[in-house]
Amino acid sequence: MSSVEGLVTQIQGRSSTASDVLLLQNLLKQADDSLHSESTRLLPFLDQLDPSMHSLGYLYFLEACTAGPVTKEQASSFVLIIARFISSCVAEQIRLAPDKFMSVCKRFKDQVLLLEEPLRGVAPMLTAIRKLQSSTEHLTTLHPEFLLLCLLAKCYKTGLSILEEDIFDVDQPRDLFLYCYYGGMICIGQKHFLKALELLHNVVTAPMSTINAIAVEAYKKYILVSLIHPGQFSTSLPKYASSVGQRNLKNLCLPYIELANSYGNGKIADLETYVQANKEKFETDNNLGLVKQVVSSMYKRNIQRLTQTYLTLSLQDIANTVQLNSPKEAEMHVLQMIQDGEIYATINQKDGMVRFLEDPEQYKSCEMIERIDSSIQRLMTLSKKLTIMDELMSCEPLYLAKAGRERQRLDFDDFDTVPQRFNI
Amino acid sequence: MDFSVLNEALASKSFDKIADICDNLILQVAAEGVPFQDEWPFTIHLLGHIYVDDINSARFLWKSIPPAIKESQPELVAAWKIGQKLWTRDYAGVYEAIRGFDWIQETEVLIAAFSELNTKRMFELLLSAYSTISIHDAAQFLGMSEEDVTNYVLRQGWTVDSDSQMLTVTKQAIVREQKLDPGKLQCLTEYVFHLEH
Repeated sequence: MSSVEGLVTQIQGRSSTASDVLLLQNLLKQADDSLHSESTRLLPFLDQLDPSMHSLGYLYFLEACTAGPVTKEQASSFVLIIARFISSCVAEQIRLAPDKFMSVCKRFKDQVLLLEEPLRGVAPMLTAIRKLQSSTEHLTTLHPEFLLLCLLAKCYKTGLSILEEDIFDVDQPRDLFLYCYYGGMICIGQKHFLKALELLHNVVTAPMSTINAIAVEAYKKYILVSLIHPGQFSTSLPKYASSVGQRNLKNLCLPYIELANSYGNGKIADLETYVQANKEKFETDNNLGLVKQVVSSMYKRNIQRLTQTYLTLSLQDIANTVQLNSPKEAEMHVLQMIQDGEIYATINQKDGMVRFLEDPEQYKSCEMIERIDSSIQRLMTLSKKLTIMDELMSCEPLYLAKAGRERQRLDFDDFDTVPQRFNI
Repeated sequence: MDFSVLNEALASKSFDKIADICDNLILQVAAEGVPFQDEWPFTIHLLGHIYVDDINSARFLWKSIPPAIKESQPELVAAWKIGQKLWTRDYAGVYEAIRGFDWIQETEVLIAAFSELNTKRMFELLLSAYSTISIHDAAQFLGMSEEDVTNYVLRQGWTVDSDSQMLTVTKQAIVREQKLDPGKLQCLTEYVFHLEH
C-alpha cells in the first residue's frame, strides 16, 4: 500500500519537467509489476492525479486498473474515465509509453463495444491517434480501431477524414491490412469507389508470406468495386504483388471471379441468373448489397459502351440494346449518368434522341491548372521520398551483405576478375 | 448539450454548415456518455446532410437512429422521405415529400431553403442534359405547375413551342475569370529544376 502511495507522490512531484518525467518513467517501469498485482485497489488513486499534468503516471495506473476482465457496469465507468484521459492527456508524456497507451485505447474500444455504444468511442479514438502519431504519415495500431468504430457507429463521413492522409510509416503489417480493408469499406459506403479501389488494391498487393483472411475478404470486395467503378476486372495481379497472393487469392474467391467473367460478357440476364444462383454465398460474405450495385452498374456500362460507337442514338434503340423496358427508362438512366458526370450527352425529347458529346473539359481553365499543379507537387514530394528511401536502403548492411553474396556467386560463374566488393 | 453553434448557424441561414456542426457535436456528446438521443435534433441533422447533397451520410444517420425515436417523431420520418426520393432519383417525388408534411416553423426555414436549392440544382441538370424537353416533364423536375414552369424558363431565355408543348433549352455561355497568378512562373521553374536533377 505504502509503495503505491509513494508512487503517487512521485508522480505528483515529477511530472513537470522533461528530465523529471524521464526519471519518473524509470520508476514506473520498475513498479509496473506491483501495480498490476494490486490492480483492483488502484481506481481511487486516480482521483489524486490530474490526467492533464500527470499523464504518464495516470497512464500506468489506468493501464494496470483495466488489465483484468471487466463487467458491463465497470466498463461504463472506465469508458468515461478513459475518454476524459484521452482528451486531456499530454502527447509528449504518453508517447514515452506508446505500448501502454495503445493497450488502454484498445481496451477502451473493447469496452465501448461491450456496451454496444460504438458512437461513444469515435471522437476519443481520433484524438488518441492524433496524440500518438508523430506525423500524419504515421499509421498507428489505433487507425484500424478508429475505422472499425466509425463503421459500427455508421459515422462513415468522420472516417473519411483520416483516409485522405498519405501513409508512409507503418508499425505492424496487420495495421496496414486492417486500415486499408476498413478504409475500403468506408469509401464504398460513401460511394468513393476510386479511393476504395486504391485502398483494397493496397491490401491484395501488400507483401505477405502466408495468405490471410483480411486479404481474401479484401480481394472479394476489390473484384466487386472494380466492376462498379472502372467496369472491368483483370484476374492477374501486378508483378509486385506477393507470390502467395498471386497463387492463392483467385482460388479462394471463385464465385467472384465467375461473377466478373459473367459481367464481362455484358448480358444482364445472364448476370442476374448467376447472382440469383449464388445469392447465399454472397449473403454469407455480407457482400450482397455490393453485388446488387454491380448488377445495376451494368446498364451504365453498356450505355457507356454505346457512347464509343455512336454520336446520336434514339432512346428506343438504347432501351433495346441495353435491355431496358422502355425509352423513358433509358432516358432516366442517361439522365442519371449525366448528373453523375459519367457521360456527356444531351437528350432531345422532341425527337426522342440522345446526342453523345465529348468531354467538354479543355484543360485550360484556372481550376484545372490548380489541379495539375497540386498533382505535380504531390508527385515531386513522392519522388523525393523514394530517393531518400533508396539511399537509405543502399547503405543498409543487411541489403549490402545479400547483394554482395549474389555478386560473388555471379562473378564466380562468369570467371570475372573484378575484385570482390561488398564484403561486410 | 450546447446547441448555441447550431442555433447560430440556423439563425444566420448558413445551412451548409449544419451537417458538420451536428456531426461534431453528436460525437462530443456521445463521448461524454450523456444520453442524448431523446433530445437530439435528428430532423435538422438529417436535413443538414440532405442540404449539402450528402445522401450517403443522411442514409447512415437514418440507419443509426433507434426505432423508438423514428416512431415517435413523424417529422423525422417525413424528412427521411425526402432523402429516400433523392436516393432513388424520383425527382418529382422530392417535391411531393416536401409538400406532403406540415413542418414546424423551425424546420420550415430549412426545408424552404432546400426546396429552392433543389430547384436550382434541377434546373442546372436540365440545362446540361436536355436540348428539348416537354413542358410536362420540366414541371415535374422543377416542382412547379406547367404555367409557372413556362414562365420560369422563359425568363432564363428558353423558348416554347406551343404546338408540341416542348421547351427548347438555351445554354448560356459562362464567362470565367482566366487570370493567372505570376507566382505560377516560379512553380514552373521549380518543376524544371526538379526534372533536371
